[in-house]
Amino acid sequence: MNKIGAWLLSLRGPLIAIVIGLLAGSIAIVVAGGSIAETYTEMWKGAFGSFYFFTSTLSRATPLILVAMGAAVAFRSGFFNLGAEGQMAFGGLSAALIGLHVPGPGWFVCIVAMLGGIVAGGLWSAMAGYFDVRFRVNLLITTMLLNYIASLFAGYLVTYPFKDKTGAGAMAQTQMLEHAVWLPKLFKGMTVHAGFIIAIAAVVILYIYLAKSVKGYEARMLGGNPLFAVYGGVRRTSLMLTTMFASGGLAGLAGAAEVLGSQYRYIDGSFASADYAWTGIMAALLANGNPIGSAVGAFFLAALQTGGMGVELNTDVPLEIGSVIQAVLILFITVKFSWRFMRRKKGAVVDGSAV
Amino acid sequence: MLLEMERITKSYGSVIANKGIDFNLKAGEVHAVVGENGAGKTTLMRILYGMEQATSGTVKLNGRDMRFADPKDAIRSGIGMVHQHFMLFPDFTVAENIVIGREPGAVRFDRKTAVAQVEALTNTYGIRVDPRAKVGDCPLGVQQRVEILKVLHQGAEIIILDEPTGVLTPLEVGELLEAIKKLAGMGKSFILITHKLNEVMSVADRITVLRDGEVTGTLNASDTTVEELSRLMVGRELAPSTKKPANPKANVLELRGVSLAGRGPKSLLSDIHLTVREGEIVGVAGISGNGQSELIQSIAGLMKPDAGTISLLGKDVTGGSARALRDAGLAHIPEDRYIWGANKAATVAETGIMGHQNRLGRYGMLRGKGMKTLVSDWVKRFAIKAGSLDNKTQNLSGGNLQKLIVARELAHKTPFLIAAEPTRGVDIGAMETIHEELLKRRAEGGAILLVSSELSEILSLSDRIVVMYEGSIAGELRVEEASEDKLSLLMAGGGMRHE
Repeated sequence: MNKIGAWLLSLRGPLIAIVIGLLAGSIAIVVAGGSIAETYTEMWKGAFGSFYFFTSTLSRATPLILVAMGAAVAFRSGFFNLGAEGQMAFGGLSAALIGLHVPGPGWFVCIVAMLGGIVAGGLWSAMAGYFDVRFRVNLLITTMLLNYIASLFAGYLVTYPFKDKTGAGAMAQTQMLEHAVWLPKLFKGMTVHAGFIIAIAAVVILYIYLAKSVKGYEARMLGGNPLFAVYGGVRRTSLMLTTMFASGGLAGLAGAAEVLGSQYRYIDGSFASADYAWTGIMAALLANGNPIGSAVGAFFLAALQTGGMGVELNTDVPLEIGSVIQAVLILFITVKFSWRFMRRKKGAVVDGSAV
Repeated sequence: MLLEMERITKSYGSVIANKGIDFNLKAGEVHAVVGENGAGKTTLMRILYGMEQATSGTVKLNGRDMRFADPKDAIRSGIGMVHQHFMLFPDFTVAENIVIGREPGAVRFDRKTAVAQVEALTNTYGIRVDPRAKVGDCPLGVQQRVEILKVLHQGAEIIILDEPTGVLTPLEVGELLEAIKKLAGMGKSFILITHKLNEVMSVADRITVLRDGEVTGTLNASDTTVEELSRLMVGRELAPSTKKPANPKANVLELRGVSLAGRGPKSLLSDIHLTVREGEIVGVAGISGNGQSELIQSIAGLMKPDAGTISLLGKDVTGGSARALRDAGLAHIPEDRYIWGANKAATVAETGIMGHQNRLGRYGMLRGKGMKTLVSDWVKRFAIKAGSLDNKTQNLSGGNLQKLIVARELAHKTPFLIAAEPTRGVDIGAMETIHEELLKRRAEGGAILLVSSELSEILSLSDRIVVMYEGSIAGELRVEEASEDKLSLLMAGGGMRHE
C-alpha cells in the first residue's frame, strides 16, 4: 500500500508538468485564434479518436519507447547518453544493409538485422564509454558530438556506396527491403508493427533488471552515489561499458525496428526529422528514468505528435501546437534538474548533522 | 532568570521530538544540554533559535513572552548560535566573515572599520584572531573562534554552541573551554549541546539531560558525576568493557614502505610500515588530515599508492580495486558515512546490502526475502531506528545510519576490518554496542585497524597504537605505555620517535 502511494507520488511531478504544458498550449491556441476546447478535442481525436489513429500513435510511440529505455538505463546508472540520434542512425542503417545482403529465410534475416542494429548502436555508444574510461572525456559531450559523425557518415553511405539506384528519384536512401524481411503488422491495414511488442518487452525487461537483479541494484547504486558503489565493490568500468552498450543498443534497436517495421529502407535524415531520439530522451528525463514512467511518457509524447496532425487537418491551428506543449515540458525538466541541483548543495549541510 | 522555556513540545507528524521540556538559563551561566542522538537536543535549540516553531509551550526572555519566527528574530533578541558545521566563507577574511550581515559603511563596504571593529572585539573578550587572515587558511580551532566572535558581533547575550568540540584537537578543546569560562565571567550565558561528558563536567555550571525528548534531570555540575549523567542519558548502567588481553598470531595486513605523492609539494603518505595481526586491534591516532584518510583509502583499494607494497593474508594486493580487496578478505567501515557509506536516495535495505549483493543473488536476481531477513536482523541487534526498510536512507539519523553501516561491514565476517571513526556521531548506547562487537571480532581472531580521532576510543580498544603526523608514522606505542598526554604530544608533532 505504502509502495503504491510512493509510486503515485512520484507521478505527481510529470503530471503537473503535463497540465501546465496543456495550459501553455491553451494560450498558444488563443494567440493563434483557435478555440481551446475544439483544438484539444481534435488533438484527442487525432491521437485516440479511432482505432486507426490509436494504432498510429502506438506506431509512433514504438521508437520513442525504445530510445527512452536506452536513455533510462544509462540515466539510472548515473551516465548520460545523449547519443541516441547517432546510435539510431547506425542501428537503422545496419538493419537495412543486413536485410538487403544477408541470405536466408525472411524471419531469420529480420532477427539478424535487429541484432545487427543493437550491436551497431551499442558499440557506437560503448565507444563513448571507453573514451570516458581511457581519456576521461565527458560522456555528455562525446555521446552528443558522436551524433554528428554517425548521422553524417550514415548519410554518406546511403548517398554514395549503398544508394538506391533503382528508383527514379535522387533520394539518399537504401534499396527497399524484401517483403519477407519486414516486421509483421499487428493489425491489417494499420501502421503499428511487431516492434511495438518488442518495445513493451524491453520495458518489462528493463523494469525487472533495475528493480530486481543484482546488476541492476549495482547500477542504481552507482547512479545514486558512485563512491559508495565503488567502495562496496561494484566494478564501475565494466558496468559502465555494458550499460552504455545496452543504452546504445536499445537506440539502435529503435532504428532497426523503424526500418524493418515501417520505412523498409534506411532514408537519410528521416529519424532526425521525426525527432525520435530527443523526444525519447525527454520521455526518460520526464519520468526520472523509471522504465514504466518513461514508457508512459513516450506514449504521451507520441500522442501529442499524432494529435498535432489531427489539429492541423481539422482546425486553423497549426501542427506546431504540439511542439509548444513539448517545449514547455522541456522547460519543466530543466527547472526540475536545476532545482534539485541547488537543493542538493544546500542539503549537504543538513544531512550531516545529528537530530 | 534570563531565559525560561516552559513545557516545550514539538511533534513532526507522529514523531514527538520534544515532550513538555522545561529549560532555563541564568545570566553568566554555562548550561549544558546532554543526551543521546535523537534525544531532542538539537530540536530544542532550533526552536529557541527560531529555526523551528514549537507545537506548544512558551519561551520567556527576561520574563517577557517571545516567539521567534526565524533566526533573525532570535539574533535581534540577543540569541546567537554556533552550528556544528561552521557557516563561514572560506575565501573571505576573518573580519569579513565576522561582520557579515552588518557590514560597516553606507554604500561601499568599509573594510578598515570592519578590521577595527574586530580588533576591538578581540581586545574586549580576549579571543585572539588575525582579522586579515583568510578563513580557509585558518585551523578549525581558529575558525570556531571566528564563529564565536561573529555571534558576539551580532550582540548576543545568549550563545548556543552545538557540538563545538567535534572537530577540534585536544589542545584547541582546552582553549575553547577556557574562552567559554572567560566569557561567562563577563556575563555572557552559554548553552552547550554536547555528548562529551568530560567536557561538560569541566566547564558547565548546570546540566540538563534529555532522553527520548524528555528531561530526565537538571543537575548542578558540582553535585553529579559522569556515571550519573550517562545513566540518565542511557536509562541504564553501562556494562564495563570486556576486553581481554590480546593474543595476536600471524600477520594479516602488512604495509611496507607505502607512499603517496599527492598534488602539492608535501607527500600525503611517506614510507608507512604497519602490520596488523590476527586477534589484534591496531589504533591509528592523529589529528584529522594527517594522512589517515589516505592510509585507509590506499589499503581499501580506493587510492593507488605510488610506492611500497600492501599485502593481505600473505597475498600482494597493492593497487588492487576495492572489489579485489573485498574479495581478498577486507571489510571497511568508512570514515564518512555519507560520502562512502551510503546512497541517500536508496532505501535502507538497499544501502544495507551493499557488498552482500552477490551473496544475495540467485540466477542474477536479488532475493528480496533474503535481503529483508538479513537487514532486519541487524536492525534488531543494533537497535537501529529505521521505521520500514523501504524508507529512504536519507531519513535515517546519522547515528542510526552509522549503526547500519557497522552491522553491514561486520556481517562480512572478513579476517580483516578497517574501522574508521566507527562511532562518530552515535550515542553512548550504540557506541557501547559497536565497541563490544569490535572486541568480539577481535576475540574471534579478526584483525582490526581502528582509525579514530577520539583518543578515549583508541585507548580503550587498541592493543597497539600508531600516531600519524603529516603523512608519516610519528610513533608506535603499546597500549600499556600510552596515555592521552603522550599521544597528544605525538599528534602535535612533538618528537619522541620510537625506533
